[in-house]
Amino acid sequence: MATFQLQVNGKAHRVEADPDTPLLWVLRDALGLTGTKYGCGMALCGACTVHIDERAARACVTRIDSLKPESRVTTIEGLSLDGQHPLQQAWIAEDVPQCGYCQAGQIMSAAVLLAEKPHPTDAEIDAAMSGNLCRCGTYVRIRRAIHRAAGARS
Amino acid sequence: MSGARGLSPNRREFLQVSAAATGGVLVALYLPAPGAAGAAAAGADASFSPHALLRIDPDGTVTILAKNPEMGQGVKTALPMLIAEELEADWSRVRVEQAGLIPELGGQGSGGSDNIRSEWDSHRRLGASARQLLIAAAAQRWNAPAAECHAQRGEVIHRPSGRKLGFGALAAAAAALPPAAEEAPLKSPSEFSLIGTRVPGVDNEAIVTGRPLFGLDQKLPGMLYAAIEKSPVFGAGIERMDDAAALAVKGVRKVVAIDRLPNPTFRMPGVAVVADSTWAALKGRKALKVSWGQTGFEDESSDSLRRQCEELAARPGKRIVDQGDVDAALAGAAQVVEATYEVPFLAHAALEPINCIADARGDRCTIRGPLQMPTWGATVVAESIGIPKENVSIRIARIGGGFGRRLLSDYAAEAAFVSKAVGAPVQVVWSREDDLQHDYYRPAGRHFVRAGLDQDGRVVAWHHRLAGVSRNTFRLREPPEGTELYGLFGAAEPERLFQHDSIPVRIANLRVEFHEVKTGVPTGAWRAPAHNANAFVLDSMLDELALAGQRDPLELRRELYGRSSDFNYTGADPTPYDPARLLGVMDRVAEKSGWGRPLPEGRGRGIAVHYTFGAYAAHVAEVTVDRQGKLTVDRIVVAVDCGIVVNRSGTEAQIEGGTLDGLGAALYGEMPIERGRAAKSNYHEYPLLRMREAPRLEIHLVDSAQRPTGLGEIALPPVAPAVANAIFAATRRRIRRLPIRGQFT
Repeated sequence: MATFQLQVNGKAHRVEADPDTPLLWVLRDALGLTGTKYGCGMALCGACTVHIDERAARACVTRIDSLKPESRVTTIEGLSLDGQHPLQQAWIAEDVPQCGYCQAGQIMSAAVLLAEKPHPTDAEIDAAMSGNLCRCGTYVRIRRAIHRAAGARS
Repeated sequence: MSGARGLSPNRREFLQVSAAATGGVLVALYLPAPGAAGAAAAGADASFSPHALLRIDPDGTVTILAKNPEMGQGVKTALPMLIAEELEADWSRVRVEQAGLIPELGGQGSGGSDNIRSEWDSHRRLGASARQLLIAAAAQRWNAPAAECHAQRGEVIHRPSGRKLGFGALAAAAAALPPAAEEAPLKSPSEFSLIGTRVPGVDNEAIVTGRPLFGLDQKLPGMLYAAIEKSPVFGAGIERMDDAAALAVKGVRKVVAIDRLPNPTFRMPGVAVVADSTWAALKGRKALKVSWGQTGFEDESSDSLRRQCEELAARPGKRIVDQGDVDAALAGAAQVVEATYEVPFLAHAALEPINCIADARGDRCTIRGPLQMPTWGATVVAESIGIPKENVSIRIARIGGGFGRRLLSDYAAEAAFVSKAVGAPVQVVWSREDDLQHDYYRPAGRHFVRAGLDQDGRVVAWHHRLAGVSRNTFRLREPPEGTELYGLFGAAEPERLFQHDSIPVRIANLRVEFHEVKTGVPTGAWRAPAHNANAFVLDSMLDELALAGQRDPLELRRELYGRSSDFNYTGADPTPYDPARLLGVMDRVAEKSGWGRPLPEGRGRGIAVHYTFGAYAAHVAEVTVDRQGKLTVDRIVVAVDCGIVVNRSGTEAQIEGGTLDGLGAALYGEMPIERGRAAKSNYHEYPLLRMREAPRLEIHLVDSAQRPTGLGEIALPPVAPAVANAIFAATRRRIRRLPIRGQFT
């Protein structure tokens, strides 16, 4: 066990954890931030997508000891203050979720896409989002929601 | 069960589970909320709660509990809509909560695409009864006849005077009234103002902001985490165990041996490592040393199962349907088409891994988790730890994908067992590898079909021999074929019509036989059970026959399906199968897809048509296969007749989702078996459809005034055959084995 300092959603935390503990389980079990989901543990499904310094990262394969103390981690709970991020609003407007389990990861991936490409094409959306699995089959609505959010930003 | 004869077996099976678990009561129409009367008597509460699922507070907030679990199929929104519609509630003032297990409701569960079908009457009556009491309370207040008053959007209005009172202001008075002697009138569909509109999911905001809704997100004070090691060869018991290294892992508290229950769908053997955190439990589990006993299936493989199918199919099987003289008709046919189709085991692979929390204390147990069938879950948990099922309370979490996997409650049984052993609340967490390698898989099988055509290309004989695994046998039920024939062609006699939820066809000489394949592989229901395999076989074979007889595939189907008047159904189902509705979706999809219009070389179009859970669907897929053999599914057009549409957005979502799920399964779905175990472990080996592979979807709903039917499953079965038929049209290569991947790049 060791002590780690990390910044999550603008707050500083100190946690006791084994150095090999994935960020995912620190967020979920130690910090109670369960919006970040466990899906595969191997960076295959994208359900655990968070932002580390504005870049998308898979929390399930990010060891806690790989984070720098100054790294800023953002989870779905911290994407906006009150659910007002254009993607969150677009997700509601397009009624995207079915079971909903993968959607936090989808939104976190989409947020990075829009930060890099404010008006993505379908092909750019597909390329950026194909690391996020959804067995319910909400892909068509996710595409629409990303376009809607992109429109809202322009 | 009386009245069950007219129900499709899928639905009957579902109701039997509910009834067996509850003693047979279905739904009490007028049921006070537990404790509500006491609270009102104490003057502490001026709310109106005429039923456990409904409460109206003095501030006008209407709280409706969603009776059955939500797993993405939209019932947490759609079921309350039924109550709100008849109540005349203002939907923007309605708060929806998930009901826990309420034994007085007589059975709760989500399965068999059954929620809306089952509750269509009961929920609307509930809302109408409450509306009637609110109107009576207002009429009393105004000293006016109730007939002069009506409810609208959360208010009662006195028409002659224009006076209005909100539901909140009437709650206390309504609560004091006795239930009405007469049944409240229900609206006619033309009066619906909420049903038929697009209503966004009630949990959307919580989902997109990451609030803790799902089973895995739940916590109890003092809760420990458990990871469970199981035998890689399915179902083997513990022979020897060395837990010293596991116990040495920091955070690990205890190791618990779990033994099997006689019914393998109740609980499988394993070793639980219980720890302070999920990560410690997973690490501790890796340090376990366990040797497992023998099951006799150590050498089983996909190849050995295929050989078994071939050996069985060499001789006649158990005759399930036998009409006419199939042998003579085949002998006399102008042409006989023979084909063997194969379907693999499928894993469920829902994004939320299997998990459940239990807090077992003394002879009581509290469960919090993602259970599709909470009523059944109480039975399984009770058996797991030897307590009365009445002592099991269940809080239902939102389910991160069900697809049939969570009809079983084995993981709740595990959680209860481990909680009892360690004397603390425990969350059982399966890894993705556990989820894929210890699933209850969609049964695999091989279909041997011979069909005879006359000189005009009409189908005169159909001989269907299925050698397959039986889900019924695995769960210790009879008969073996009982779970495997749904969706195959059935006889056209009224008494047999619905025996297998089958499509009755006008084939004079029809024989369906079943051979049971012996296996050690656990099996369970998978979205549209049996239909998901059998539709592939039927609709592919029809395509082969149309081609052999030089017929249009639509015309061939029209001839086989017949007309409404061909089938005199006299059972109890209020919306029995009607071939006119099947042909309706077929013609609609043909029109919308441009069926018959030429496509460029390398492209092809395929059609499939299906009926299940009371609903009708037809799909046309368009594919491209390029010169390198790369397959792209470009477009899928779908027509569905599900009767009255309750939530238009949710309905379309189920059709989009079912279609993409069906496509993913058709392209990739396969759990191969090697050395008696599942040969794939995670999503890199067991791929799901990705966004870049999602084709353009066009969905068309048939306008209908018929009772609404199930929707969670109907859109899936036709996808594989529509795509396979399109591939044939594009390439002249017939897909007779799923998955498609491997046969194309």
